[in-house]
Amino acid sequence: MTATVTDPSARLISLYQSPMSDALEASATGVPLVGITSNTVPWELIAAAGMYPVMLRSDDRATPFANEFMEPQVFQTRIRSIFDQVVSGRWPLRAVIIPRTSEQEYKLFLYLREIVRQYPDKGLPPVYLYDLPHSQSEDSRAYGLKVTVDLKEQLEAISGTSMAPDDIAASIAESNAARAAVHSLLELRRETPRISGCLALSLIGPFWSVPRKEYSELAHAAVAQVRGLPELSSPRILVKGVSIDQLTLHSVLESFGTVVVSEDDWWGERSAGQDISTVGDPVAACFEKYYFDSPSPRTFPQAVADSWFEDRSREGIEGVVFYVPEDDYVSGWDYPRQKSFLDALGIPSLVIRDDPRQIKMPERSRIQEWIDRLPRRPRS
Amino acid sequence: MSEKQLASTLEASAHQKEWFSQLRRNVFERHQPYAIVQADMPFELFHVMGVPAVSNQWWAALISAKRLAPQCFDELRTRGFHEGLCHYCSLPLACTLAGNSVEAPWGGLPKPALISARLTCDCIQRVFEIWAHALGTEFIPVENPGATELPPRWWDLSRHNWSQLFEARRLDLTVNQFHVLIGALERISKRRFEIDELRCLMESVNRQEEYFDEARQWICAAPKTPVRMTEQITNVMAAQWLRGTDWAVEHAKRFRDEIRTRVDSGVAACPQEKLRLMWVGAGLWHDTDFYTSFESRYGAVFVWSMYLAFGPDGYIRYGLSDPLRALASRVVSMNEQLHNPPWANEWIVDQAEKHRIDGAVVLIPSGTPSAVSGTHFIEMALEKAHIPVMTLVADIVDSRNWDGQAMRDRMARFIEERLC
Repeated sequence: MTATVTDPSARLISLYQSPMSDALEASATGVPLVGITSNTVPWELIAAAGMYPVMLRSDDRATPFANEFMEPQVFQTRIRSIFDQVVSGRWPLRAVIIPRTSEQEYKLFLYLREIVRQYPDKGLPPVYLYDLPHSQSEDSRAYGLKVTVDLKEQLEAISGTSMAPDDIAASIAESNAARAAVHSLLELRRETPRISGCLALSLIGPFWSVPRKEYSELAHAAVAQVRGLPELSSPRILVKGVSIDQLTLHSVLESFGTVVVSEDDWWGERSAGQDISTVGDPVAACFEKYYFDSPSPRTFPQAVADSWFEDRSREGIEGVVFYVPEDDYVSGWDYPRQKSFLDALGIPSLVIRDDPRQIKMPERSRIQEWIDRLPRRPRS
Repeated sequence: MSEKQLASTLEASAHQKEWFSQLRRNVFERHQPYAIVQADMPFELFHVMGVPAVSNQWWAALISAKRLAPQCFDELRTRGFHEGLCHYCSLPLACTLAGNSVEAPWGGLPKPALISARLTCDCIQRVFEIWAHALGTEFIPVENPGATELPPRWWDLSRHNWSQLFEARRLDLTVNQFHVLIGALERISKRRFEIDELRCLMESVNRQEEYFDEARQWICAAPKTPVRMTEQITNVMAAQWLRGTDWAVEHAKRFRDEIRTRVDSGVAACPQEKLRLMWVGAGLWHDTDFYTSFESRYGAVFVWSMYLAFGPDGYIRYGLSDPLRALASRVVSMNEQLHNPPWANEWIVDQAEKHRIDGAVVLIPSGTPSAVSGTHFIEMALEKAHIPVMTLVADIVDSRNWDGQAMRDRMARFIEERLC
């Protein structure tokens, strides 16, 4: 839906706050919606099939279905929320595509599939697994390409249309343009940041929930709007750890006088990543993008998984915050190694385990003290 | 510890100990290679290559039974790993990191030539990479493709129709990954892999599991169970870790024969048996006496766990023209078969009905969140089949938060209120 843009930043912020709004408008005009749950489902293939890919995000609503079927303290808030959104039939989805980008998402697929099987009268959308592996090996690569070709065929079956290579190429071009817009926004966070982390996440987030053409236009216009903002001289923070699709942590950190300039996370700095190649088979190009250039807790080996974080840590940050919530049982394995890396560089780091919405006083003091000790940057 | 009623149980325990002693001697004195692997790995490849394989979960259970887990986890914490990380699969790693500060069971693990795991949950690649670094050895990962086709009653299909049941693309990838593993085993063992040897071993595994199948049928059919669940586990797992070897096949046969003899003679594990219980989940390794705590007062006997039942249903593969592919089909879906809907709930209800189960305890392994899966679906399916369920939240290997008396009291209430 291309809207008349009077205030592109406000429009993007509004889309971030109501991520389904644009999709629902499209659905009302007959465009089929396809729900996706992570960064590794090829947006380009869904769009090329004439459907609207929309990222299912967590919200603050109660999760009665998750409470009934999902074990407590095992699934992240985001996964529980997505489960409820699908099982409750909240959105008019033609299908849901879940990638194998985390074990929790694989379980989400199996659980949702079972609900669809056990309750056929509920009319829930079919659920598909995009079994993209993340270990870096020739076998995994060949397998990933095969399941990507299979995904294309599934999408054709879901949409009832066939995709020509030109359709996919056009979709890739549209998506790459949106990536360029994200990169323009990211430039405003680098060396001398001019936008806060909260604003950055709000402006980047709709990359996942609106058509890329619309996003591209809005984001470029927003860049022009905010480019003139004054430089932010606060200590620059990189956020690492469990993926977060809300502003809460950034909001807390910035309320203490920092600016979050980076996230090792697909909701922030790593949302767009590199362009998809426009050379050769477009399905294979899509696969290569999502296999080689998408953060995932399953990326293996560690050296590959850590490489982006290590490179970015060397590029103009004053501190790293590890967000390792109480229900984490994955990223905690990485923390000691990554902390050692930062220690060797002399970069201060801090672990936050509390829910950012409910940080209590002693923890707030600890965060404030850590921030107060961060090196200050001279104004340029 | 409850008494051991079967001669085969004593023999299984003794054999495991001797096997491990021999492994240590071979490693230290003859510099022979061995491996540490996850429980869901293709042990068969290691057997045919003459590389003994120690199961990570078996070793964790041993450490736990010796009540060493708290000390080991203290070590992890001092190294910056938080308390909420999975305990079951990381306990042996923690024991390694603790070094001499913990007296590991049976003299401890020597340095392996390699360690290997299937990339199931998101933690295991991390645990094994850290462990490989600590041990100074190499880690061979095996990718774990996901299931998309999950037809009903997998156990009716898995013996003969395995090539369709487990999806060609998954088997292709797993076989390819096995070739990488075989390459590493050839390198460390200095032996050549022979496919015919694997075929022979796979046939022996079938024979072994057929014995277990018969044992299971005797347990199902007998008026009262001839063997406690805990003794089933000891016998079955001692053989499964060595599956297909001469000792394992012979042991399965001895176990079957002993059960048959007991049934023929009218011997029950618990003569006052009135209620038959099933245990759903991994074993409670730090308090195995829990399982026999309800016999004298209620006549409530644990009859079933996955350990015996999964052998015949999960391992038997007929049609071994491509034994590597058949082996891939054996391991590729263990997680779905045992822990995830729809396969786990369907199978457990079927087993409960065949074993005339009166009540079930479903373990939610609190210290191993990545292993918590499908428990609500299992509970609902059992209740729908009129089998009352008690869920029990407990750490499999770490006794620190386990209040044994409180749990026994809770179990007693469950028996009184829902089973009696």
